[in-house]
Amino acid sequence: MPLSDFITALDELATQALAAFQATADKSALETARVEFLGAKNGRLKLTQQRMTAVDPADRPAAGQKLNQVKSTIQAAFEAASQRLESAALVQHRDPQFDPTLPGIVPKRGHLHPITQTIAELTDIMGRLGFTVADGPEIEDEWHNFDALNIPLDHPARDPLDNFYLATAGRTAGDGPLLLRSQTSTVQIRVMERQPPPVRIIALGRVYRPDQVDETHYPMFHQMEGLLIDQGITMADLKSVLRLFASSYLGTAVHIRFRPSFFPFTEPSVEVDMHWQDRWIEMGGAGMVDPRVLEAVGYDPEQVTGFAFGLGIERLCGRRHGITDIRNFHYNDVRFLHQF
Amino acid sequence: MLVSWNWLRDYVPLDVTPTEFADRLMMAGLNHESTEPYGADFVVDLEVTSNRPDCLGHLGIAREAALLFQQPLRVPQPELSEQGEAASTAVRVDIEAPDLCRQYSARLIRGVRIGPSPAWLAVRLQSLGIALINNVVDATNYVLMECGQPLHAFDYSALAGGRIVVRRARTGERLTAIDHKVYELDPTMCVIADAERPVALAGVMGGAESEVQTTTRDLLIEAAEFSPLSVRATARKLKLHSPSSYRFERGIDAAGIDWASRRCCELILRSGGGQLAPGQVFAGSAPSERPPVTLRLSQLPRILGIDVPVERVQQILEGLGCVELRRGPGSISVAAPSWRRDLIREIDLVEEVARVHGYDKIPEDTRVPMVASHRSESDRVHATVRATLAAAGLDEALTLSMVSERSAECFSPWTDAAPLAADTPILEGADRLRRSLIPSLIAARQSNESKQNPDAALFEVAKIYLRQPAGLPREQWTIGLVVGGDYFQAKGLVTALLRALHVASTPAEQSVSMPLLDISRSIALVLEGEPLAFIGELSALGMRQSELRARASIAEINLELLVRHARLIPQHAPLSNFPVVTRDLNLVVDESVRWTDLETTVRSTVGPLLESLEFREVYRDPAKDGADKKRLLFTLTLRASDRTLTNEEADNVRVAVVAAAHSQLSAKLLEG
Repeated sequence: MPLSDFITALDELATQALAAFQATADKSALETARVEFLGAKNGRLKLTQQRMTAVDPADRPAAGQKLNQVKSTIQAAFEAASQRLESAALVQHRDPQFDPTLPGIVPKRGHLHPITQTIAELTDIMGRLGFTVADGPEIEDEWHNFDALNIPLDHPARDPLDNFYLATAGRTAGDGPLLLRSQTSTVQIRVMERQPPPVRIIALGRVYRPDQVDETHYPMFHQMEGLLIDQGITMADLKSVLRLFASSYLGTAVHIRFRPSFFPFTEPSVEVDMHWQDRWIEMGGAGMVDPRVLEAVGYDPEQVTGFAFGLGIERLCGRRHGITDIRNFHYNDVRFLHQF
Repeated sequence: MLVSWNWLRDYVPLDVTPTEFADRLMMAGLNHESTEPYGADFVVDLEVTSNRPDCLGHLGIAREAALLFQQPLRVPQPELSEQGEAASTAVRVDIEAPDLCRQYSARLIRGVRIGPSPAWLAVRLQSLGIALINNVVDATNYVLMECGQPLHAFDYSALAGGRIVVRRARTGERLTAIDHKVYELDPTMCVIADAERPVALAGVMGGAESEVQTTTRDLLIEAAEFSPLSVRATARKLKLHSPSSYRFERGIDAAGIDWASRRCCELILRSGGGQLAPGQVFAGSAPSERPPVTLRLSQLPRILGIDVPVERVQQILEGLGCVELRRGPGSISVAAPSWRRDLIREIDLVEEVARVHGYDKIPEDTRVPMVASHRSESDRVHATVRATLAAAGLDEALTLSMVSERSAECFSPWTDAAPLAADTPILEGADRLRRSLIPSLIAARQSNESKQNPDAALFEVAKIYLRQPAGLPREQWTIGLVVGGDYFQAKGLVTALLRALHVASTPAEQSVSMPLLDISRSIALVLEGEPLAFIGELSALGMRQSELRARASIAEINLELLVRHARLIPQHAPLSNFPVVTRDLNLVVDESVRWTDLETTVRSTVGPLLESLEFREVYRDPAKDGADKKRLLFTLTLRASDRTLTNEEADNVRVAVVAAAHSQLSAKLLEG
């Protein structure tokens, strides 16, 4: 057989195989075509290959070369068709029965009390300003709640009707009277009593005063108290720390204003306002720690000075979240809790 | 303190508006409450802090204004002419309780005509909302509002023996006050008595029998200094608060009594005529001179962070009424005015200079040194606990630290000692300091149920209060939670907390018996010998007592113990990349065998190959297994760190587990 006949046969085979593979529409048609052209026993390529023995031996190398060329062409066409069919299988069709606007499956999530959230935020800000949280007892003796804080025996704040004193029944005679702390300043005293200056702390927690319950009063509420004692601490430092605090809390630079006030444990004492949205808003009370307080804990007021400030958590939290009635904090209505 | 704008300007010329006036005073310590027009006048309401009783009269406010606006202060000087026999011939004053009354001055006016006050005086009192009585009582009220010194006018003819005795009330004595109510007196109270009986409550209220009436002819004018503590206690006990008691409670100007007495007599004589008897009858001791106060100028920058020029300091101190005694290099010594009892120490002068000079002069941008702060372990654990429980779907409650007796008694797992009680309940009936958070949380769940919020799952992190033999009570940080559903809901939450905090040791489980909880479905967890938690489903009784509708379970955990056992910095252990092999087992055991018994046996038998042990099911088939038997189904997951386990090794483990369970727990393997 002349070489040219063999080559013509191979070319025809290639043309037909390519057309057949391109025409396949599904996997079974492709398999049929594969068996027809590439089948190991009776595939047409195999059959054509067998006819090579009839080619003149001198032309066989050229025939073999052509055979290999056609073989890889057909193989490539098969693989291309195979890939084409696989991709086609991945083409998506919209399911008219599936409604993607149906609600998702929401995991049940609990909510932290807004007071806790406020405390966490304040603690975080004060932490960044270098203040470490200190804890202290809620049931206090008169020394820590009054005497050491320069609240003398005849001060109206000590009136038994204005405090939650503990009943003496069943308590050891000789122990002094105990009461629920009326301010978190007690923690200042406890910290200063056990550590020398410098001191840079905040104390947060529950405080108790027998108020008639109304929109703005509840017999239990929360305070944050800050204290910084060191050499060379001035009222300018107090103003600066409060400005940083208020700016962090509100997320924008604000100014601070001091109005004179009176607290037994600080002197000078001031009310602190922050200027926000064109208004002065009350922040809390502050001042320079009274020398008597420093002396009461064994510090030398000629050596160190310091400032203290106190904020009402309920008021800050209420103002931020638009809670105008303090009683909401205590109902524990989950519809309320879920709002935060 | 209500201030009449017109009245005020008798003492100080002010060319500012009432608004400018109020703004400036606010920045000097007198908070502005309101300003209301009153006819041609304005009434300005100022808040006076308890350290400034000198501002409880128009003169005191005028003194502040004169200093702040740099204007002269004009204090009126009473002009009196005295006639007839000396007061001391008709009046005797004795102070028998010098601790309650330091000084007492009496003046006598004879032949006065009682009638209405002159219009100029009447309108001023009315502008301040003070009721007009008659020219005498109105004059005492006028002087009260002028200088802050309370005064009292007695009908002299009603004073037996012409005597004034300042003493403690005797047990059983009573007084009909000018409000015509009868008050029971006791020896803690200071009274003004005549020769026979109490005629007034010292500093609080006068008596009806000696009050000035239209028929009154002769007056005894009292000006005195009563003890703040005694006046406050009496006013409070009798619920009798008056402008007088308010001022005595805060302390009056001890050197101003005579001025007030003479000023009052002057006004009475002008409106009601009569003759002022020469002299006063005085008992007690005049105020002694107070020690000078020295201000080191260096203290101003040390405390305030700014310098104040020495001339300004002098101007401020002088304006306050201080008299400069001595000026040293860098210091000023002054005598503080008698009306400023609060100026005793150097720091008091520092505050005065700062407040008048202006806090706006203090900068707000100093460079406060940076220091490291750290979150305590306790803080971190609290945060993890809250995050874990919130992630598990529980809402955080906030309940009161005090509860009712009934609530306190219904559950107290941590102590048998009685709860501490307060003298005053925090809310109606709630006077016990709680020993557990659970009763409050159950009440919160119940109140949600009643508001149609079914299935409130709540937790709280708070202290409980445990009585100690001596000293302060123990305050234990505690986690309480209440959830809907059975025992396992609550128990799983406790396990979740232990895992979140990487607590290494496994708590022992002990049976408990508490009426609130189902006796079968409750347990105590004990961690290394200390009670860690109490968990349980509410008993039928507990449900009824709590008025709950839907089944609920609770857990209470000692948070402080958790803090001690928490591993806040977990350490990495290498992971094995070899595959796991699992083996299921189904063992028949006696009912008395508990899961923890089996778990202990399995864990000690398998050793380090055990990656996890998972409980599957408990199942009972008395027909096949006999009575009082149960089947425990569970899965062992095995993995080695250094090799792939063969099936043969896994089978050997399984055989060993069965053998150990058989020998230790009489368990029988159920094949298939």
